Amino acid sequence: MAGAAEFVEADNAIMAEIETKSQKIESLLKHYKHIEALKTALEGSPLKTNDERCKSANWTVVHRVIMTIKDIDGMLNALDAEYYDTLMKYLYKGLSTGDEPTCEQCLEIHEKLTERAGLGCILRCLTDTTNTV
Amino acid sequence: MAVVDVHRFAESITCHAWSPDYSMVALCPNNNEVHIYKSSQDQWERLHVLQKHDQIVSGIDWSSKSNKIVTVSHDRNSYVWSLEGGEWVPTLVILRLNRAALCVQWGPKENKFAVGSGAKTVCICYYEQENNWWVSKLIRKRHESSVTSVAWHPNNILLATTSTDGKCRVFSTFIKGVDTKDSKAGSPVETKFGEQIIQLDLSYSWAFGVKWSPSGNTLAYVGHSSMIYFVDDVGPSPLAQSVAFRDLPLRDVLFISEKMVIGVGYDSNPMVFAADDTGIWSFVRYIGEKKAASSGSSYSSQFSEAFGKFYGSQSKSATANDASESRGGVHDNCINSIVSLSKAGSPKVMRFSTSGLDGKIAIWDLENMQEELGHQF
Repeated sequence: MAGAAEFVEADNAIMAEIETKSQKIESLLKHYKHIEALKTALEGSPLKTNDERCKSANWTVVHRVIMTIKDIDGMLNALDAEYYDTLMKYLYKGLSTGDEPTCEQCLEIHEKLTERAGLGCILRCLTDTTNTV
Repeated sequence: MAVVDVHRFAESITCHAWSPDYSMVALCPNNNEVHIYKSSQDQWERLHVLQKHDQIVSGIDWSSKSNKIVTVSHDRNSYVWSLEGGEWVPTLVILRLNRAALCVQWGPKENKFAVGSGAKTVCICYYEQENNWWVSKLIRKRHESSVTSVAWHPNNILLATTSTDGKCRVFSTFIKGVDTKDSKAGSPVETKFGEQIIQLDLSYSWAFGVKWSPSGNTLAYVGHSSMIYFVDDVGPSPLAQSVAFRDLPLRDVLFISEKMVIGVGYDSNPMVFAADDTGIWSFVRYIGEKKAASSGSSYSSQFSEAFGKFYGSQSKSATANDASESRGGVHDNCINSIVSLSKAGSPKVMRFSTSGLDGKIAIWDLENMQEELGHQF
């Protein structure tokens, strides 16, 4: 089916993008540019596709950055409001892993993000079943 | 504050509607009855109890010119009540539904009313003079799930619906013999009954509370994901905007002017949205707050307890309680209905009422708030 082939192509393109992104992020992290790294990681998140590989690849990248963040307030200050919803979705993904250090970090960021973005942000994560991370 | 009257009528109110002179209110106290109260000198007196439905009455509307009450219920029936000799007499309307009826609204000319149902259909009912009864015509196509809310365009032909499939649709309800083709109408109106004019796919979650602006140019509806959607120039090329806001989702909206909307919902406090001069809609404020209200952690006490448990040892006293002034206010529980108290068709709504799960009806007056609300009002 031509449609399916299109999807595979698009997914491969996304995988390639994520590869380039992760390299860029590694170098940003080396230079302690955590905020830039997070922005890069969240940009272009594969929300629309159903492909598990893309999603888990992007999650690995985002996870890497989330774990390195020490100054949460500063990070949220610098992050644009349009990424709050995406970040919240990744936080819930992190909390679902059950892995202690990940959960601790995600919980801390969750508290601050909720203060900033409000309960509406959490609602949007819960009710949005089409754009998932 | 803009509240002029608050009264607790029951444990919980499902829906309410006002009489033509706004002296009486018909409400459903979350059971199968409709109670009619009259206000006299600061007291509310219960005048009538309408008992015909077998299950919860999910929608009530009171027509202002013909003084008829239409009620719909989860028992799949609808009754039109007329006042005869001081008593309300019901007339059964055969809706031909096999699921609950969820909402009802009289059309602007009051010769038709629309019922949204859990059977994924909308019933348009009109009065057939020859047989002396109300006939229902169904819009069966299109909806993929329950129809939660219906709203009539001022031209009495177009009907907007929202559904739990997340979409908002506009249909034509032209009925031969009931509606007349308006030859001087600006835009050509579809004249086939049940024809879908437009479908809006803005929401990813359940949609509720659709309303038209006074001129019929703009549509507003809410989604369960704490978003409100505005659509200007409804027609072949609409301009849609999605506004995400901080707090809990809304359940119903009301246009108080062409450029201002009040939303009510789970936050128990009405929210004001306005379009600026370029046409961009955004959240302005809560209606009960002063302009300098903090947007910080003003969660009510039940949330701070929950957050305390969630964050455990990590939380400090960050979730402070300035709840009493900013959130406390009028309603204690979800507001699920907002009804205008101004004459239908007027460009500005100065008074409106809200009812909710706390069993209270609050009447709000915007007379003194003109300055605070700004020039869009």
